[in-house]
Amino acid sequence: MKQVFKALALTVAFVGTPVLAADSAEVGKPAPAFTLKDEAGKAHSLSEYKGKVVVLEWTNPECPFVKRHYEAKTMQTTQKGFDAKKVVWLTVDSSSTHSAKTAADWKKKEGFSQPVLLDTDGAVGKSYAAKTTPHMYVIDGEGVVRYAGAIDDDPRGKNTAKVNYVKTAVDALLTGQQVPTATSEPYGCSVKYKS
Amino acid sequence: MTHPWSKRSGSRLGGLGVAGVLLLATVAQAALPSTAVGSTAPDEGDPRLEGALLLDATQVKAGGDFRVGVRLKLDPEWHVYWKNPGDSGLATEVSWDAPGVQVGDLRWPFPSTFRTPDGFITTHGYHDEVLLFAPAHVSEQAQGTLTVSAAVDALACKVHCIPAQLVLSRTLPVGPETVTDAEFAPLFDASQAQVPAPVGGQGAPRVALALDGTTLTAGKPFTGTLTVTAADGKPFAGGVEGDFFVPGRIAGVDRVALKQKAPGTFALEGQASSVVPKGEPRLTGALRLGTRATGFTAVDVDTALAPVVADGAVAEAAPLKLPSMKDAVGKVKPAAAAPVAAESSMGLGLALLFAFLGGALLNLMPCVFPVLAIKAYGFARLVQEEKGKVVPHALAYAGGIVATMLLLAGAVLAVRAGGSSVGWGFQFQEPLFVAGVSAVVVAFALNLFGVYTLGADGTALAGKVDQSHGLLRSAGEGVLAVVLATPCSAPLLGTAVGFAFAAGAATVVAVFLALGLGLALPFCVLVLVPGLAKRLPKPGMWMERGKQFLGFALLGTTVWLVWVMGGLAGVDGMARLLAFLIAVGLGTWLYGQSQGLEGGRRGVTVALAVLVLVGSGAVALRFDEAQASLETRGAVASSHGGAQPWDEAAVSAALAAGQPVFVDFTADWCLTCKFNERTVLSRDDVRQAFLKHNVAFFVADWTRRDARITTKLAEHGRAGVPMYLVLSPGAPDAPEVLNELLTADSVIQAVQRAAECGSPLKGGSVVCARH
Repeated sequence: MKQVFKALALTVAFVGTPVLAADSAEVGKPAPAFTLKDEAGKAHSLSEYKGKVVVLEWTNPECPFVKRHYEAKTMQTTQKGFDAKKVVWLTVDSSSTHSAKTAADWKKKEGFSQPVLLDTDGAVGKSYAAKTTPHMYVIDGEGVVRYAGAIDDDPRGKNTAKVNYVKTAVDALLTGQQVPTATSEPYGCSVKYKS
Repeated sequence: MTHPWSKRSGSRLGGLGVAGVLLLATVAQAALPSTAVGSTAPDEGDPRLEGALLLDATQVKAGGDFRVGVRLKLDPEWHVYWKNPGDSGLATEVSWDAPGVQVGDLRWPFPSTFRTPDGFITTHGYHDEVLLFAPAHVSEQAQGTLTVSAAVDALACKVHCIPAQLVLSRTLPVGPETVTDAEFAPLFDASQAQVPAPVGGQGAPRVALALDGTTLTAGKPFTGTLTVTAADGKPFAGGVEGDFFVPGRIAGVDRVALKQKAPGTFALEGQASSVVPKGEPRLTGALRLGTRATGFTAVDVDTALAPVVADGAVAEAAPLKLPSMKDAVGKVKPAAAAPVAAESSMGLGLALLFAFLGGALLNLMPCVFPVLAIKAYGFARLVQEEKGKVVPHALAYAGGIVATMLLLAGAVLAVRAGGSSVGWGFQFQEPLFVAGVSAVVVAFALNLFGVYTLGADGTALAGKVDQSHGLLRSAGEGVLAVVLATPCSAPLLGTAVGFAFAAGAATVVAVFLALGLGLALPFCVLVLVPGLAKRLPKPGMWMERGKQFLGFALLGTTVWLVWVMGGLAGVDGMARLLAFLIAVGLGTWLYGQSQGLEGGRRGVTVALAVLVLVGSGAVALRFDEAQASLETRGAVASSHGGAQPWDEAAVSAALAAGQPVFVDFTADWCLTCKFNERTVLSRDDVRQAFLKHNVAFFVADWTRRDARITTKLAEHGRAGVPMYLVLSPGAPDAPEVLNELLTADSVIQAVQRAAECGSPLKGGSVVCARH
């Protein structure tokens, strides 16, 4: 009976404390909205890409895993494989110490074309629960998250035959099929949020 | 090259007093061949991590065992990762190449937990230094020299992360004897002491999980209770500190955490991932018990969670259908709207009907019958003397029943919300409750004997008060009827209440309400049907005798209650309860004496009565639940001739060995269970059938709280005992659930079906499907 009284007390304590749903990017749920400026100062909102598949790539140019994928051209090749009219690729950097200049320098060094969105205060990264670099999200034309996780199934960069989860997810969405792997464990460095 | 760690003195390996060992290791480093030591993770040329390949033997014999390990030393504030790195990072990987040696799985000491300052990112790993090792077995043919090589792939992080790869190699002579390395063996032992003991390992604590639901809903939080018992079966009494639980990587679950509620009891909170996994997730991780002061014991947690179901009815109907671009957002519905009850095979209407009939049937059960008899007696008096009050009394009695039922429903909901799983009759698992009910029963009996009277004072004022007192008494009898009824789980009741426990709050209340109305029905019928009442005999001396006789019937109930107490708290508990009941007798007798006195003397006598009750209660009502477990566990098993205490692992083992399994979920306070045991399970033909088919008989004793049993009952939609499961080795995942009221035929046939289905002699053509 002690238990019952304790439970009654707990119940009283809990009443009126609504459970708030985490505002995070969950597969099958609408993606959190955002507006961020890129390295050139141009603002990008998720809503303006409605009707297109959007790939979000959380990045940090200093992270060895990001470096590895850019040196191996994983990100560049994946992006080039998509129809640019149907797929938008946005790279997001939530590192607190980075600026438009670091992003522009990195872009020049690696020679890619997609915008690098600066999320210096980390608000957007946290709304997506982005925790690693790289951390990938694929959002469908209706703004629903369809994939969240790693770029591929090869954390250590050793496999010769890898599965590129982002590529398979986008291809599936474009052909109206079920995304075969909707989530995976992202691997890499932690996002260097302001704290 | 100088390494910063050679200057470090203390260690943070965790309260094991290994500082001396570490000092030894620093010295021993010099003795290692250069191929066994390597530095890596260079940050602008300055390495952050140094690894060394260590062996705990300087010579091994063919066929002998030794240990191989990689010791990683890190710069201050740098860390490498555990097998589940957490939100980011990468698990440290060690691959072995050792011809002539079989190297086992890597042993991971209990890791530290690291958090970013804002708590957003949590990772698990090791700082300062760690020895990851594995058992190694030398082949019988080994001779000459063995070469052991390790390739280490680690990620070292502080703010930035640097991947590290090391290839380390050592040789080891094969000789006539295995010679322990006095320098390194203590390091291995120190590391071993921090490795969580495997589940169910010898001397390891036992871990049991009771989830609050039977399924997890994708994307939704879930809760449960994890209980830890020491290897000797006693509840784990110590505390925990720091990040004592590190979850494994669990497919289908985004997040799990434990909070200590009481020593050995932890509230589990988690969130199912938004995507339904293929298999049923298991709760895995490392749990570290103890404190710096008492020393630590770590144990591996690996226990089944529950299947993850899709979020809401829409997802259920078309789990794989990709919504079209247009209606995608609109179709995402909240899960809260989906009633759990819909998953049950039983409709709400049928459950209410069963509950109502079950309640009515309870009147005939030995627990409630005495109360009904008393009520009928009191009613006979009323009908003759105060016809106008009949209906109010009936309503008071029904009201008492319904109110108590609602209170019970509230208690059930509250306990459920508080994180515990409960079952029907759960209150009889609490010794104090049993003592309280016993006291009420004895006090009632003494009232019937005329030791004291309730309310009737003989003064002029009493005439007015009597009416309300009488009504109160009727209501009180209603309350008592419910309290006594709970353990008499009538046949229809189990299913109905089981249904209620799996359902939403409104359903729970409705089912309890139906139960109460059913229980109140027979008496109300007696009162409200006009002709029926007049048939009752006229009051007279027989009523006084009848009243006293019923007192004895009521006292009979205490025999059973005392016996229940024996199961809960052993022989000592029974003695304490009896002593308390005598004090209750003395107290009520004193109260009875006071009723004949006036003024101050009366006050003194009443005070004395209260003193006797409170005093004896304080002294006697201390029950040692742990004491009973050893006494009764053996008794239950022996009464079944060869029955074993229920254990999921033992059941699996019996099934794997091709034995059919019969599990008897029972409790001392469950009269239906006892009835079945006496009249069916102990019958000769039933026993013969068990012997013939080599049935493994398990007894799951729910007399005291047991989270594992509560969970198992819930799996089959039951909230209480009895429950009988027959498992076939041919279809171990599809147990047959027998009816609550057993018949010899039903048991024998079920056992035979289970045996035939599983018999390898009959080939694979036997149909093992269940209906």
